[in-house]
Amino acid sequence: MNKKVDGQNSKILFSEKVDIGSKGPVNLTVADPNHMFFEAKRKACFLTGSEVIKEAIRRANLDMSVAYPITPQSEAAALIGELYAEGYLKEYFRGESEFAVMGQCAGAAFGGARVFTTTAGPGTLRAMENFPMWAGSRLPIQVCVTCRGINSPLSIQPDTLELYYMLETGALVWHAETAQDLYDWILGGFMVAEQPDVHLPLALACDGFFVTHTKDNVMIQEDELCLPEYDPYRAPVPCMDMEVPPVRMMRDPFIMKSNYISYMTHASWQQEVRAAIERSRKHTKVVMGGSLIDTENLDRDILLVSSGTAVSQGREAIRLLEEEGINVGLVKIKSLRPFPFEELKEATANAKTIFVPEFNVAGWLAREIKACLPDNERVIAGPQVAGGMTMPSEVIVMEIKKKLGMKVEPMSGRG
Amino acid sequence: MSKEKIAICEDLADIMPPEYHDMVENATFGNQDRSWKDIGSSKELIEQHSLCAGCPESIAFRFIMSSIPNPEDSVFVGSTGCTSLVFPHVGIHNIHSLFGNQNAVASGLKRALAVRFPDRIKDVFVLAGDGATVDIGLDMTMQSWFRQEKFTTICFDNELYANTGGQESGLMQRGFVAKMAPKGKNFDKVRLPEIAFEAGCHYVAILTVSKPNRVEQAIRRATYVAREFGPTYIQLYTPCILEIGKQSMEGLDEMKDSESIGGRFVMRELMTDEVKAFLKEKEAEDKARRKKAKTVTA
Amino acid sequence: MEEQYQVMPGPEAFLPPSAASMGIVLPDPGQAHIEGRLVDEEEAYEYAARKLLAAKVPTLFPGPLVLWRWNDKAAKKAAAIRKLANALPARLIPMADYRPKYPKINPAVEINPNHPNLTIWYNKIDVCIFIGVHCHQANLALKIIRGGTDCYTMAMCAQAGHEDACLSFRDADPAKIEKLTAAVEKLKSEGVKSEAEDFDQFVTAREG
Repeated sequence: MNKKVDGQNSKILFSEKVDIGSKGPVNLTVADPNHMFFEAKRKACFLTGSEVIKEAIRRANLDMSVAYPITPQSEAAALIGELYAEGYLKEYFRGESEFAVMGQCAGAAFGGARVFTTTAGPGTLRAMENFPMWAGSRLPIQVCVTCRGINSPLSIQPDTLELYYMLETGALVWHAETAQDLYDWILGGFMVAEQPDVHLPLALACDGFFVTHTKDNVMIQEDELCLPEYDPYRAPVPCMDMEVPPVRMMRDPFIMKSNYISYMTHASWQQEVRAAIERSRKHTKVVMGGSLIDTENLDRDILLVSSGTAVSQGREAIRLLEEEGINVGLVKIKSLRPFPFEELKEATANAKTIFVPEFNVAGWLAREIKACLPDNERVIAGPQVAGGMTMPSEVIVMEIKKKLGMKVEPMSGRG
Repeated sequence: MSKEKIAICEDLADIMPPEYHDMVENATFGNQDRSWKDIGSSKELIEQHSLCAGCPESIAFRFIMSSIPNPEDSVFVGSTGCTSLVFPHVGIHNIHSLFGNQNAVASGLKRALAVRFPDRIKDVFVLAGDGATVDIGLDMTMQSWFRQEKFTTICFDNELYANTGGQESGLMQRGFVAKMAPKGKNFDKVRLPEIAFEAGCHYVAILTVSKPNRVEQAIRRATYVAREFGPTYIQLYTPCILEIGKQSMEGLDEMKDSESIGGRFVMRELMTDEVKAFLKEKEAEDKARRKKAKTVTA
Repeated sequence: MEEQYQVMPGPEAFLPPSAASMGIVLPDPGQAHIEGRLVDEEEAYEYAARKLLAAKVPTLFPGPLVLWRWNDKAAKKAAAIRKLANALPARLIPMADYRPKYPKINPAVEINPNHPNLTIWYNKIDVCIFIGVHCHQANLALKIIRGGTDCYTMAMCAQAGHEDACLSFRDADPAKIEKLTAAVEKLKSEGVKSEAEDFDQFVTAREG
């Protein structure tokens, strides 16, 4: 259980070597992220999620990206290629598979570059061996996971099951609800992941299609600003560029000599990766506006607790229920790793029933929540949809009314 | 890193164990004419290793590390296997990563170093076993060649999976009885040198490590060509004496047998005429420089 | 109310938890932590100086970032560390690199992040301070030391600090190391004596 960390007064720290106001890529100016995120004037832009990824990466002062096509992230990955052609990033190419791409990203990050890539569904699973390697090697790569279904049978439709597999990779895992979250968190994500006390990969998830392929108003900085560049010499491990001691250095050595203490080194290494996730809390809170969760009306008996676009569906359900005089509160979980244990405990202290709507059959978020709350029989895992099904707000309404003992007409499936 | 950066702070120099002083004072960092001939008279980049007594891989390692022309600005990428037990003790930054993704990691690394140090030569080398190069990693090995990634791939070919206990590999000879090939391997040794050349390598060499001058020549050629043209590939026979039932003393004979007339490891090099001309010029330049240095010292 | 975890010398457990997982939070700029408690950095100098002076075998563990002269700042830090060692006096035992060494380390003259306890046990070190070790490797070592020894650990960290140490500074530079030396000298001028046992500073013979 984490201690609640006060992020309110903290600032985003960055390398002292950065020259704020200096020229960034193309026409951009390097900005203090505290100014860029919280003070700079913004304008509304009507964009798809994929275009939002492009606009965030444009301003990320990125060194390198590696792409591979898989729906629904292909468009975003290709748009980053356009940025490369325009000079916003220094290196970009198409890899041969997700497994290879994540290795290529690792190589670039070992060499001291700021790296971004995207993947989805089967691609995430094909790449899976790389993610714990990234974390164990302390590589602050950002991967945007545009969630889709996992084979078999094949589905290219939105489904968040893949995030269940991501939870114990040692990476930070955030789940964006909206295009605005996606924009702000891509940029904020680099600043958190690259902190010397964190220095871990970030899997920034959004729901495929629902976020990537729909248009939304997103507030983007008016001025042409970009993030400070990455300083690999603040890393908690030597950069593999032969510019930092010790030269006799393998970044990820076999430490498992056959005796107790070296097994313990391996165990301690894994603990250290998870400790780094814990340390990210105070930095994450700053970029997420003060907390790892957002809340509405916590005094109500019934709460909807969810992440991603399930939150949006929950908001609409709450509006529908209010029309019938049923009052329901809401908790939006923004960060899955680190998981907001204490925040959730506090937010749900008064709740009698907690519904967890999810876009997957496993109900992993409900399991996570049940594992950390007292009296967890209050937690109802559902409603759940999967395989690309939508989650009409009416379905959430129906679940809640059923629980309240009210008569409901079952909603028939819609192909 | 310049050679000057590989130095010990004076105020703490007296507490550093002597092996580190030795590395600073007697290793051949910064000497572009460094050579396998320095072995015995200078500090080697490998401090120690835990390979089997008499393992040809260990001598291959020493020849390679003494031959690379630019160790102070070189980074190695390995893969899981016996080599990864040696790498932590090598005085050059190196990455283990996973089993089989070495050429993918090297692709990203080489490009990142090129972006970060546009005016400097940063050599990247992959050094992995035949299982990693030809079996599990073949896709990434070849794709890096298709993409014309500018680094050298070195394969320690011991014709089986050594670290896991002697299983069949793609580079194993046909008919060899091994674990996972209980009736003998039933397809030919993969002809990776030819495949490498077809796939876009500008310089390819296959040889044993019985003759250090040949290893050195191949390493230097591959490095120079990788800087100027694109991918290069070296396949070195480093028999696993343990798994083919030989004694510690028999590694050298095994290599010599395999490179005698008609043997599968008779040294051969594949390169284009353009590369040939480039190397001729480069090697004449090297020779002239060495001659001049000799005259000056004399 | 759960009792707040404190980062104290061990031996703590077969596999002790990371302090971060027990809710210990790193200091912000201008702060340090003492046993998990966030304090003004100024408070930590005297506390650390007292700990080092009261130790029987106070030891400084300089790491690669200060042992190797890879930039001017490293040389300045090395000079400051030397001054600190002389002012106390304290032993200096280097962590020259991080590799799992074969066949074994010589615990009399070096420390290794993969089994730092060997050096602590062999030299009977009761108070130590890490300076110039990369944060990841420092955290491994600090946690293993807490797990299996009774050594009081400190860290003079150039980045965000170490919650796995019993006391940690952050954003260390040569001036901060000198400030710790000044705190030692001030205590000595006030009559606090070094409790350190006699020792030979440098035994750098090589084994194996």
